[in-house]
Amino acid sequence: MSEIQYIGETLWPGQLGHLLIIISFVSAIGATIAYFLAEKERENPVSNWLGTANWSYVIHGVSIFGLMAVIFYIMLNRMYEYAYAFNHVSDDLPFKYTFSAFWEGQEGSFLLWMFWHIILGWVIIWKGGQWRPAVMTFLSLIQVFLTSKILGTYLPFGDGGSKLGINPTVLLRDVQDAPIFANAEYLELITGSGLNILLQNYWMTIHPPVTFLGFAALSIPFCFALAGLWRRDYKGWLDPGLKWGLFAGFALGTGILLGSVWAYEALTFGGYWAWDPVENMSLVPWLIIIAGIHTNLIAKSTGHSIRATMVFYILAFCLIVYSTYLVRSGILEDTSVHAFTEMGLENQLIFFILFFLILGLTLFFMRYREIPNPKKEEDWNSREFWMFIGSMVIVIGSILITYSTSLPVMNAIMQFFDPFYQSRVVEDPIEHYNAHQLWIATLMALLSGISIYLRYRGANWLNYRKKFFTQTGIALLLTAVLTWATIQWIQVVAWQYILLIFAALFSFIVNMDHLLFRIKGNLKASGSAIAHIGFATMIIGIMASGINKTYVSSNVFAQSGMLEGMEDEDLLRNIVLIKNEPIFMRGYIATYETDRFDGNERSFDIRFVEIDEEGRGLDSFVLSPNVIYDKNFTQIEAANPDIRRQPLIDIFTRIARLPAQQIDLESAQAVEDSLRFETYYMNLGDTTFTSRHYIVLEEIHHSILHPDKEGSAEDDIALTLKMRVHSLDKDSAFTALPGIALRGSFVFRYPEQIDPLNMRIHLADTLIEDLFHTEKELNYTEFQLAQGDRFQYDEYEITFLNVNQEPWHPSYDERDGDIALSAILEVVNTETGAEYRTEPVYMIRDNIQSNFKTMVPEAGLHFRFTRVDPNTGKMTFMVAEQPMKIQNLPVQIAENVPRSDFIVLEAIRFEGLNFFWVGSFMMMIGLLFSMIVRLRNKM
Amino acid sequence: MVSRQILIENYKEMKKIHIVAGLLMAGAVLLFVITSTDFGTYYTFAEAELLEDGRNVKIIGQLSKDKEMVYNPEIDPNRFTFYMTDEEGDERMVVLLSEKPQDFEMSEQLVLTGRFRDGTFVAREMLMKCPSKYQDDEIFVRSEI
Repeated sequence: MSEIQYIGETLWPGQLGHLLIIISFVSAIGATIAYFLAEKERENPVSNWLGTANWSYVIHGVSIFGLMAVIFYIMLNRMYEYAYAFNHVSDDLPFKYTFSAFWEGQEGSFLLWMFWHIILGWVIIWKGGQWRPAVMTFLSLIQVFLTSKILGTYLPFGDGGSKLGINPTVLLRDVQDAPIFANAEYLELITGSGLNILLQNYWMTIHPPVTFLGFAALSIPFCFALAGLWRRDYKGWLDPGLKWGLFAGFALGTGILLGSVWAYEALTFGGYWAWDPVENMSLVPWLIIIAGIHTNLIAKSTGHSIRATMVFYILAFCLIVYSTYLVRSGILEDTSVHAFTEMGLENQLIFFILFFLILGLTLFFMRYREIPNPKKEEDWNSREFWMFIGSMVIVIGSILITYSTSLPVMNAIMQFFDPFYQSRVVEDPIEHYNAHQLWIATLMALLSGISIYLRYRGANWLNYRKKFFTQTGIALLLTAVLTWATIQWIQVVAWQYILLIFAALFSFIVNMDHLLFRIKGNLKASGSAIAHIGFATMIIGIMASGINKTYVSSNVFAQSGMLEGMEDEDLLRNIVLIKNEPIFMRGYIATYETDRFDGNERSFDIRFVEIDEEGRGLDSFVLSPNVIYDKNFTQIEAANPDIRRQPLIDIFTRIARLPAQQIDLESAQAVEDSLRFETYYMNLGDTTFTSRHYIVLEEIHHSILHPDKEGSAEDDIALTLKMRVHSLDKDSAFTALPGIALRGSFVFRYPEQIDPLNMRIHLADTLIEDLFHTEKELNYTEFQLAQGDRFQYDEYEITFLNVNQEPWHPSYDERDGDIALSAILEVVNTETGAEYRTEPVYMIRDNIQSNFKTMVPEAGLHFRFTRVDPNTGKMTFMVAEQPMKIQNLPVQIAENVPRSDFIVLEAIRFEGLNFFWVGSFMMMIGLLFSMIVRLRNKM
Repeated sequence: MVSRQILIENYKEMKKIHIVAGLLMAGAVLLFVITSTDFGTYYTFAEAELLEDGRNVKIIGQLSKDKEMVYNPEIDPNRFTFYMTDEEGDERMVVLLSEKPQDFEMSEQLVLTGRFRDGTFVAREMLMKCPSKYQDDEIFVRSEI
């Protein structure tokens, strides 16, 4: 224990936070117990446990909200003595990203999850209804487990004690052991690490809350299923269970979808789904919920599949906890591109999963025999038969995904028993998952078509049979035609994909028919039709964007010919674009036009012109992918793509690589260090030869003409050598304007870089010395003038025009108490007629006289303003003539300069990708719609 | 007597959905077995070099930070060479058919997917593991202004 009195710490937020955590934990336990007792006494509520329980849950909710407020307070006020603030915010983090920073950490995301559970719990409490005690018992129990994840209390077992949860309001010095904490004033010295740059966008603000709402929503059907089991009422829960199931499907599905939009729009891998383990493990619970929704519908209509529904809802919840275990444990780090920080909660999460899995399954098997199951089997011709098959197909698909994604877990288990066990890994994830999910999707699409035309319980089959076959037959015919049309567009070769397209179109046609003509405004049924149409559209979008995907940025002719064989050629995805040089890509001519800075973002404008076979331009547009530098421009932190979206075609572009000098300071330095400069002495009009070029010095100017000349001022003493550089082996020539300038005592350099010649030209610093002689060498002539007077100095006539009370000189920094003025002198060369003006400055500071000299470089004249005679009003000046040397001017040239005027670009053309978005969006609408209709009708 | 008949009838009735379920499970197992062939183990350079069927394998290793890394986009923007050491300590040159990734020098571990061609390992894909931002015992000190 330290005895240091730390300065500047604010301890009350941490203490308040601790208190709130304890209150929330205890009240969650209290709520669980109270709801349990309330359920027990439901028939005869003597002690009003229900009221107590409701209040406990409310207190729990309020304390969690309070805790979140405390953490926000800590973060907003940049209190780096707290670990959470230190790890997730920094001084310069914009306010709008504070939310993202809040849930960047594990503790924050757990709180977000709990937040939604509280909201949903309050909805259940407020709505009333007889299921409250039973359902809330389980929900409160889940909250107990979640709250334990943020406790941060130490338990006495394990080596050195073990920790239960991580406290988000803990002090930094309590969790990190660093020498800086020996300093009582450490707080002044530390600053926050800030939010990961990849998360500083609006996606990080909306995707986690929606996804965690989905996670939270998944637990409600689970609680209802268990409540039904507990209470031995196996049918009553089906109704609220379905509505919550639909809500969970909508919420989680939307969350996942937001993630894929984020991936496509802001990440650079060029797609919306990568079968990454983290993505898969959010998808699987969603699929199980969808399966559960379908069996739930069956159960409500026919009484079949109650058991299946219960199992699915139990599995969905356990799988979401399993998924959070996988993400938070770091076990996926070799197979996933998502970054992880392990925080030691793995065992607690495993316990969490096992507890509820065992609880759910035990309750289920205990009551198994009692669960009603109609004696009469489902018929072949009944809708529920095929819906059930469909749900089984979804579950099988989920098992396959889970198995492949969990390989690292299996590796870990196997290696626990056999240290020599070789880790197994999926060799080509995208191919692997596509290969088997293709069949799942095909079956799902077919079944979602067939079952629409059937009726529950095969009602009235004999009368209905003919109509069914007619409808289905027509649909199949239309599908065949539409499939043929579609594969003219989608260049599909494999029969498996054709079958999938067929199945999707079949479902599309059947459900469209159903929506438009059969149900005639029956809103309840339209939700499912919309969802199925969405699913089918989504599949078409996946097929089109996947199969018709082309790398526009592939220029096969430019390849060095190192590789034979087609299969590797399609990997050559990058192309080099040199500034202002148009290049032919597949179907487009692309030109890298400019780059511009906006704060730390550097965007590259690339103009695309779409051309037809004859090379005529069809369409023109500009895309601007960017890179983002860190605060100090020392390295690139992130890159964003730019996408051109049209109804059927998307062009996706990203910067794959920049020239080394522009990526980070180290590389820039390395490039600079590698340059070899040679000094050449040039004379006006002469030709100088270097190893690969010859240069003609055409003109000498006394001002800066360099393209970057903005910083230069008229008063600078400057020199520019205009030269024409010719390449010895190529036919090209370039004009260069390297310059050098003197302002007061600062030297400004204006080197020229000629990228096509890999050349850089400096004017040597010694030029300044050679050109501008030191004062000692100057031979001044003194003269006195009153205003308006003239003085003849060799061929120059100098006229003292006026005095300037507000003098300016590059070397003069005005201070209070200075007396300063300058004299405006006009100098005329009586032989050539050339006119110049100059303003030397005279100053008295602290009773000491001094002056600042000026020059007329073209004439080689130096002027000083040395004295003022107050009596006569005459000013004393000095002039010296020393023309600047313009012979053997030293110029430094490097010819091994790597080009810096290009970008490496990847450009992908997707077709029909918008069908994916439209389709998935429709699926969500369908789910939401179904839920709302049922809520309205109280059905 | 009557109850026995009912039992037999029920048994016959029960079969339908079980048949379909059984078929589905069989299909699932088949799919499972087929796709399990997509699982492999991580290879070493030595093992990968011996393969002759031209398939792509995965190799885990670490970047040899002291050896040269060559990426000249002006010549070929899809070719990046570097040296990697696999888990057996074997160091080989690798040609990656893509650009040099951002922060490559900071990688802690690499997973390559590729195969040997004419004595060089040609990688189609690479997964890079970078150190987490959160290092223990590292506290950022604010620079005094």
